[in-house]
Amino acid sequence: PLASLVRRRGCALSRTSWKRRLQSERCNQTGLRLFSVTCSLSGMGPPPRKEKKRIEIPGLEPITYADRMHFVPGLAKPQMPKWERGWHDPFHALGVKHEEMALYKEKPCYMFHQRTKILGGEKQALWLTKSKLIEGLPEQVIHLAEDPLNQIENQDDQVQKAISHARFWVTTQTEPTRDRFWKDLQLAYLNLLQEESLCFQEIFSLSSIEHKNLYLIFRKESDIFQVRGINGLLLNSMNPLIAVASKEEVQATETHVLETFSPISPKIDLQVTNVYEERNDTGFREGYPYPHAHTLYITDSYDANSKFKPEHLRAKMMMFAFGNALVRAKLLYGEQPKVLENPVVVQCVATDGRTFQFMVLQLNTTDLDSSEGIKNLIWMDQDQLLYDTAVCVPIIKKKVVQVPAGFSGYQPETFKKFLALYLHGAV
Amino acid sequence: MAAQGRLHFFASSLQRVLHTDTLAAATAPVTARALSLYPPIVASLTAKSKAARRRREEVYRERVHAAGSVQETLRLLTKLQRMKYVVYPQTLALNADRWYQHFTKTAFLPKLPEKLPSFPLTTQQEDAGGASSSNQASWTDGVDLASLRSLVCNAVLQENFYLKKKKAFLYREHELLVAPFLSNLVTILTSVLAEHNPLLKRSSLGDYKTEIYFDYCIVLQVLPPEIQYKEKVLKALTVTQNKPTNQKKKIPLLASWLKEIYSILTYIFSIACLGEMMRFFSKMHLKHFLSFTGSKVADPYCYGHTQFHFVPDKLKRNRFEKANLTDQIEVCLRANAIASLFAWTGAQAMYQGFWSHADVTRPFVSQAVITDGKYYSFFCYQLNTLALTVQTDVNNPRKNICWGTESMKLYEAVEDDKVEGFNDEVLELLVRFLLNAPNL
Repeated sequence: PLASLVRRRGCALSRTSWKRRLQSERCNQTGLRLFSVTCSLSGMGPPPRKEKKRIEIPGLEPITYADRMHFVPGLAKPQMPKWERGWHDPFHALGVKHEEMALYKEKPCYMFHQRTKILGGEKQALWLTKSKLIEGLPEQVIHLAEDPLNQIENQDDQVQKAISHARFWVTTQTEPTRDRFWKDLQLAYLNLLQEESLCFQEIFSLSSIEHKNLYLIFRKESDIFQVRGINGLLLNSMNPLIAVASKEEVQATETHVLETFSPISPKIDLQVTNVYEERNDTGFREGYPYPHAHTLYITDSYDANSKFKPEHLRAKMMMFAFGNALVRAKLLYGEQPKVLENPVVVQCVATDGRTFQFMVLQLNTTDLDSSEGIKNLIWMDQDQLLYDTAVCVPIIKKKVVQVPAGFSGYQPETFKKFLALYLHGAV
Repeated sequence: MAAQGRLHFFASSLQRVLHTDTLAAATAPVTARALSLYPPIVASLTAKSKAARRRREEVYRERVHAAGSVQETLRLLTKLQRMKYVVYPQTLALNADRWYQHFTKTAFLPKLPEKLPSFPLTTQQEDAGGASSSNQASWTDGVDLASLRSLVCNAVLQENFYLKKKKAFLYREHELLVAPFLSNLVTILTSVLAEHNPLLKRSSLGDYKTEIYFDYCIVLQVLPPEIQYKEKVLKALTVTQNKPTNQKKKIPLLASWLKEIYSILTYIFSIACLGEMMRFFSKMHLKHFLSFTGSKVADPYCYGHTQFHFVPDKLKRNRFEKANLTDQIEVCLRANAIASLFAWTGAQAMYQGFWSHADVTRPFVSQAVITDGKYYSFFCYQLNTLALTVQTDVNNPRKNICWGTESMKLYEAVEDDKVEGFNDEVLELLVRFLLNAPNL
């Protein structure tokens, strides 16, 4: 096979393979499997096929054009017996019906995955995770952020260089495309963190994990919910994070009442499935030296088809941080619902390169069935800008420069928080 | 035949714009008679004659030489856009390395340069499996290879064992296994070695799948195609420079491997047979004239340190073995290294204001590591000349030099949660590559 390829003059990219690559990239971002080039380029699938209604009158046999062997106007379309191939072709197999699958269950399960955008936003996520929301980050993290000892050498300079590189210099075109630089930026920030914090190699797995698949199932008010899917980059640590809130604060959450949004069902926009497995899976095999999820980094795409609104993104952060925490808690303390003595803490950062959302989640209880009792705690610092604008070509309207070319409005506070979340537990 | 016809077209289109050196001789008597009261007699700029064309080329070349900044030079060189052949470093062509040596005027030496830095090692804590960690070891006195090994083993195990992964899509296995491991490995190594090599702290490692372009004009015996190198690098380590980029007396931050830049005499394959040659070029022609190191001229990180490539699934070893072409495994890697490093160093030289008619005054040096996750091969490249055009390549004794190793296994196999047969030699080489700095 290789020799035949060799004969075809190298492995250069032809126009079709370029399109196919773009197509697969787009599919990776949106998560949709679109097979035609046009569909994948526009990001939309074809409309569902309409079934024509067949009218059957008892006692009357329609006159079809079956014996003529071609279409004749005015005659009915014949109904042919289904053609069987006679052998199993994996490319044309129709697959088993859901009802006949081994994992089929009567009770439906409501699934939250990486592309779910729930209508209720944060409120719905708070209800699902049984949590109390606190604005701003916890005090420990703020102290870490303000401590000048925890800064990278030439921090602001380094960050600005990283941003300029990703936004201005990385391409041969005037400006890099959006679907390129949001990923570049996140990687640049993470690289900065990882290269500068030299003394924490024993604590962290320096490697961030991209293809981890989470699988979590839990019951709430007699419904079954599921959190699953690939969830961004995960930073793992050897030791768990210590509880952020004190025991008194945790006890005080008992009086907190979860907000409901009565006309709308809290299950809205979650994907319903009857085929599911009742298991919990962290995505790692046993014996992994860095078992504790430390921080989850979620990239928000710039792609219009897959971009999350801020409220949807925050809901996603809550659900996935909660998922990682609960899976760990179930592994440590068993399946029985109870109030945890040592709460599990997971952090989450979501960014599109410019806007940051910071979150810290403390899982106090695995008893999610009722809305009473001790609640979980979520600290959220939302919509923090790292910089205002970064454009290569100035934006001019009515002969007035609206946005000057270059990079402006850098806010060092945001990166300090980003760094503090990384250092939390290590310093 | 069609390909030949196309080449003829290129040759004819190229002749119109070629810069020639012969004009200097023609203009010399004119300057001698400059004292005359009459203005010098020069060829017309607009006439349809050979002399006029030579005059136009001379004027153009003078303008490029007189350009004040690098941006201006690049702008002048890129002004005229024309179609050109594209060479992709990762190629399926047989014996590509010989051709690539010929295209780039590179001599290949099957060893590593002697000047590669060695470093103090502390290997008291030997552990056979390699997976167990040795946390107490300090990172300060020399590079602690045992601790580094355990970190690397953890990274190997994480991607190959601990993480439950889905089956990869056809020909995309490297995206799932090799690419994450390689970026983890580079991060681990750079963060650990930054203490020992301050250069790494002043370098940027953000380049992910950067495209690198370098194009130039060469003559392949019969017909002169224009060639452009284009590639994607997984991670390119670029090095910062303290002083402004325009100064010409700066030495590159990596010390050159050889002091006298054209002292090595090696035979460079010189072969030309058009039908055979065509397979090295892509069918697609690019219209942009570019020289791009992965970052624009404004970027202060203007010199290259090390590139990390991974082998795509279509060029995996087992595919060569299946096709009974085992001798081509190394050839493919060598070709990849020669083409990509020539492109990278060439683009760096262009950013310093050198081009084919203003040859480099100091060598440009870069390194590359090519891997498929398990096998590693190491290459060093020294760019000694950019003068590869017809006019400038006359009596030019300089050659570019590429040093390289054959591929070596980092580990034998991953069995459950153990890495079997970890090869310290490869790790040492990786460390030595990253510790390379001019003061060493």
